[in-house]
Amino acid sequence: MSERRPSAERRVEGRRGAQKPQRRAGGGGRAWMRHHRAMMGDSALRLIRRPISTLLTMLAIAIALILPAGLWLVLDSARLLDAELDESATLTVYFQADIDESEAMDLAAEVGGQPGVAGARLVTAAEGLAAFQQTLGVDDALSQLDANPLPASVVVTPDDTAPAAVQSLSQRLQTIEGVDEVRLDLAWLDRLQQLADLGQRVALALALLFGLGVLLVVGNTIRLAVESRRQEIEVVTLIGATHAFVRRPFLYSGAWYGLGGGVLALVILMLGGNWLASPVAALAESYGAHFALPSLGGRNSVFLLLFSTLLGWLGAWLAVGRHLSDIKPR
Amino acid sequence: MIAFEHVGKRYGGRFEALADINFRVERGEMLFLTGHSGAGKSSLLRLIMRLERPSRGRVLVAGHDLDQLHISQVPYYRRQIGVVFQDHQLLFDRDIFANVALPLTIQGVEPGDAARRVRAALDKVGLLHRERALPIELSTGEQQRVGIARAVVNKPALLLADEPTGNLDPQLSADIMRLFEDFNRIGTTVLVASHDLALIARLRHRVLKLRDGRLIGDEEAA
Repeated sequence: MSERRPSAERRVEGRRGAQKPQRRAGGGGRAWMRHHRAMMGDSALRLIRRPISTLLTMLAIAIALILPAGLWLVLDSARLLDAELDESATLTVYFQADIDESEAMDLAAEVGGQPGVAGARLVTAAEGLAAFQQTLGVDDALSQLDANPLPASVVVTPDDTAPAAVQSLSQRLQTIEGVDEVRLDLAWLDRLQQLADLGQRVALALALLFGLGVLLVVGNTIRLAVESRRQEIEVVTLIGATHAFVRRPFLYSGAWYGLGGGVLALVILMLGGNWLASPVAALAESYGAHFALPSLGGRNSVFLLLFSTLLGWLGAWLAVGRHLSDIKPR
Repeated sequence: MIAFEHVGKRYGGRFEALADINFRVERGEMLFLTGHSGAGKSSLLRLIMRLERPSRGRVLVAGHDLDQLHISQVPYYRRQIGVVFQDHQLLFDRDIFANVALPLTIQGVEPGDAARRVRAALDKVGLLHRERALPIELSTGEQQRVGIARAVVNKPALLLADEPTGNLDPQLSADIMRLFEDFNRIGTTVLVASHDLALIARLRHRVLKLRDGRLIGDEEAA
């Protein structure tokens, strides 16, 4: 055994005076990569060898991820809806019932000429009745009527959709002769906006809480793993393992747990989405609307996986850091 | 290689495990450390391994003042020391080869090179044919030899052994000691803590005697 002095050792001895921790160049970098690869595989193997407990941990992480992610999805779809509503923040100007068709056209032109009006579309009494019949399907009942009970109206798109501007426009239109009533549903829009804001905050709070939950789940699992490998940690520490070396397999375990939990969360969200899709579509259909449940999409899915992996890694880091200082070789 | 200068070690403020220890060990020496249990043998070894720091005095090993050693440098320092434990401290979830390779794995030695060195070390302790066995399949004496192979696989300048023959019969103990003498012959400094006085007397090396934390004897090789 004495015939050859490997260079690594010679370097250790040669370093005696200058006690710098050697971040060995060249071969050291390769060795470091090699250990990372080995630990990545080793930690994955350890998880696979205990499939039930691994799956349970990942499931706990998945559930903690699904709740905020699901809420975010719902909010996102509400936001889409909100945007549509914003565009359709229109005023409906109803004319008095005794206004005939040609007068209605003049009046519509006058409304359209008002400042602050981006567009005005005349809905004649006949068109209004037709639309009414179509949406409600009450042909029979309406055909019993002698005269069209609906007034003509103009649908006005305002320049400025800010609630205050729309409000003042509405008041101005109200003063035009021949106008019976101006309708707008600003209060409802306001409330929806506030509700969406509230929802976002709730989602953020939930994300923080459940993120913490993931940290705790991973932390606790890793704590048990550290405990079960206590002897190994003591031995490798005695023969010169750095903290980073000891920590590495556990960090990879944490990252695997996080990644697995993220994948499970995606799968469950997808299955849940599919399960809800047909009743949601049917419900939307009955309102004459096209509305599909939004899915996370590629970018957000990748983000979720990265986020969960990072959380797992962080949870492991915290757990190992805390317990490494407890473990002192005898 | 090793120098203790007025070293004292107290635990919990009162109990004095070591008091005013002074001795030097030259490079390439082989010596024994004896004393009744509780005399401070383990404390002394723990100081050399830098598992603990002295309450007073200085410990110098291989040119390092251990008190000046930054915590981040301790792992690199320990790699220069091979340690054999009484209970050999093998990892039972992996085979003999992996156990012996552990110090090389920690140091990031290239696998081909590591395999050659592991086989050389196993060959030296006569267990080359058992490299794929699990520690549990080996006898106590064989397990201890694996522990020795692991301690010497990275050719440390200093080899420490804490009661390496504590669980072995006289014949096996003599074999183990002969192994230590072999390593000493090729230049390794060897320090063996043992209370097997009969065996030590036969081997004719320098002996440090501890009693109640004090060095009461430093007998040169006869």
